[in-house]
Amino acid sequence: MELRERLDFSSRDLGAAVQALALRPSADESVVLSTCNRSEIYVVCSDPARAREEVAAFLSEYHDLPQSAFTPHLFSHDNEAAARHLFRVAAGLDSLVIGEPQILGQVKDAFQAASEHHRTGPMLSKLFHWSFVVGKRVRAETALGEGAVSISFAAVALARKIFGQLNGRRVLVVGAGEISTLTAQHLRSNGVGEIAVTSRTAAHADTLAASVNGLSIAWDDLALGVSSADIVVTATGSQRPIITRAQIEAVTGRHRRDPLFIIDVAVPRDVEASVGDIEQVFLYNVDDLQSIVQENLSRRSSEVARAEAIVSEELAKFAAWLRSRGAVPTIVALRERFERIRRAELNRLDGKLAGLPPEGRARVDEVTRLIVEKLLLEPTEQLKALPDEETQVAYTEAINRLFRLRDAESLSSSDDTAAEIRRTDRRGK
Amino acid sequence: MNFLPLALYAAAFVVYAIHFAKRQPSVGRTATTLLLLGVLVHTFVIGMQTMEVRHVPFSNTSAAVSSFVWMLALSYLYIEVTTDERAMGVFIVPILVGLQIIPAINPGIDSRNPVLDSPWFWVHVTTLLFAYATFALAAMLGLIYMLQFKEIKKKHLGYFYTRLPSLHVLDAMNSRAVVVGWLFLTVGVVVGIVWTAQALALSPDNSNLQAMSLQDPKVFIAFLTWSVYSFAMVARKTLGWTGRRAAWLSALGFAIVLLNFLPVSYFVTTSHTFQ
Repeated sequence: MELRERLDFSSRDLGAAVQALALRPSADESVVLSTCNRSEIYVVCSDPARAREEVAAFLSEYHDLPQSAFTPHLFSHDNEAAARHLFRVAAGLDSLVIGEPQILGQVKDAFQAASEHHRTGPMLSKLFHWSFVVGKRVRAETALGEGAVSISFAAVALARKIFGQLNGRRVLVVGAGEISTLTAQHLRSNGVGEIAVTSRTAAHADTLAASVNGLSIAWDDLALGVSSADIVVTATGSQRPIITRAQIEAVTGRHRRDPLFIIDVAVPRDVEASVGDIEQVFLYNVDDLQSIVQENLSRRSSEVARAEAIVSEELAKFAAWLRSRGAVPTIVALRERFERIRRAELNRLDGKLAGLPPEGRARVDEVTRLIVEKLLLEPTEQLKALPDEETQVAYTEAINRLFRLRDAESLSSSDDTAAEIRRTDRRGK
Repeated sequence: MNFLPLALYAAAFVVYAIHFAKRQPSVGRTATTLLLLGVLVHTFVIGMQTMEVRHVPFSNTSAAVSSFVWMLALSYLYIEVTTDERAMGVFIVPILVGLQIIPAINPGIDSRNPVLDSPWFWVHVTTLLFAYATFALAAMLGLIYMLQFKEIKKKHLGYFYTRLPSLHVLDAMNSRAVVVGWLFLTVGVVVGIVWTAQALALSPDNSNLQAMSLQDPKVFIAFLTWSVYSFAMVARKTLGWTGRRAAWLSALGFAIVLLNFLPVSYFVTTSHTFQ
């Protein structure tokens, strides 16, 4: 936990981190992703071993920590494994709370920060945009992110199922605790009209009221506040119920016109259980909300397999793209080779062609160029569409030998596209 | 001729059910498209029948049921388009399918009683059919409200909770449907009374017209319906009968409407049985 905080980038500027990393020569492209439970660095490099060292050195310098402090918690993925990792992160499969919605936005922010500092190139742009697609697909096609997984969100979701839009609804918060504050904040961001706060200690009420842009009312006006509210959140430390059935029936009559939603997060209860028997009153206590959260969590985990399937499907497509890119150096070399031959032949025939008018010579140039293009078209397409890496290596090798490409320039197909990833693993801590 | 809309409504129902279970937007759009297609074909069928008999085909129960189904489908489509809520389709469309079976298997014989040859007749029947279609919607909204209410009140947030609209939306739509239905019911009944008085002056010996009184089952049940919905509206305003009470009342009201519409029309000879 402590280490997680010390390696955190989000409190500092992501752009600055990317720039600092840019000073290391081994990384051609880099993105720094930092959320509350991860710090990850995505790097495109031609020398993975060296990049690994430099990223570790960077982490140590940037956070002013000895390498030995975090090395045991560091892990790295290469190539496809790196892509799979990022896709799972973007899908919310790697989060502490499975399917949590913020992560995709954080991945986008990380990419944005890096690209603003010109640290992203063709590889990371493709990889990150692909991960956004994965994130969106998982959200649209599975229920991985559905259902509230915190008590305050569950309470707000319930309020929306009772009242529809929360615009103009009046909220009364009784007692200022952590959950009641969070719930009030979520209600506020869902557009409720007025938030009244009351507490035995007036100062607590004033503080909470100020933080949610509400108004503080006197403790003695509790009954009045309940009668005019649509949503009541209670969280006092009282040992006995502070809201009873008799009280509510006294102020609102036997038939309430509008529903009243009471969220009792206090332990012991602030609201008499029989209040929930009143026709238009919906009473939920902290245990009810907790069990909703549990149900939602288990429903989410039952969606994991479907989300993983989407990740695998997109990964297969991405890997095909990677392979087609792996073929690029061979294709370029092949084209250069053919072009050299064409030029050499044209030069050799220069004397014989000298008799032609300029248009005729241009025509010869054009025709020979077209022949070379047509000859190379099909092999190029085929090379890009090879089904797996093994076949690709074999084909590349064959072409290199057949056309003696290696003599012309040394090339290595895999190093060029290696994405190197380091991540500090905090689960153990 | 009434088979084709029936088939389309049935297909729409299946797709609405799939959409309800899977909640995929594209499936929902397909369901709406099928229903819309059903309504268009149904419009064509009713139009053809009108051309054939040279007046709107209301004068036998099967034709009236067909027109009722058509209006209910239109009203539902209106609600769906204005609220963008497709979850209710799975509850409303089966009513269309069930009722459309009647005209599909028993087209009925068009009677040409000269008494019915009046513009009042068309206003009377159209407004009442539309009122009944709206009451059907209100009743269905009420039932859905009770389903959703039960899940939230009992704290079993299950299958329906996630799929159904909020209690507030259901209650507000129910209230609106009752008001609109009540207005049309009132107009229909008033037109009926005025028209009876006029027709009676022209042909005092007509046995149908003579039987038009509160003792007649059809007329009595119509007034009962009117009373129930009037009470529902007044109780909502003054007694705070919203939510579940309003839902029960609209379900009760529509049960009476159905009683009047089907068993009474087919099996009891009343002042409204024209030979």
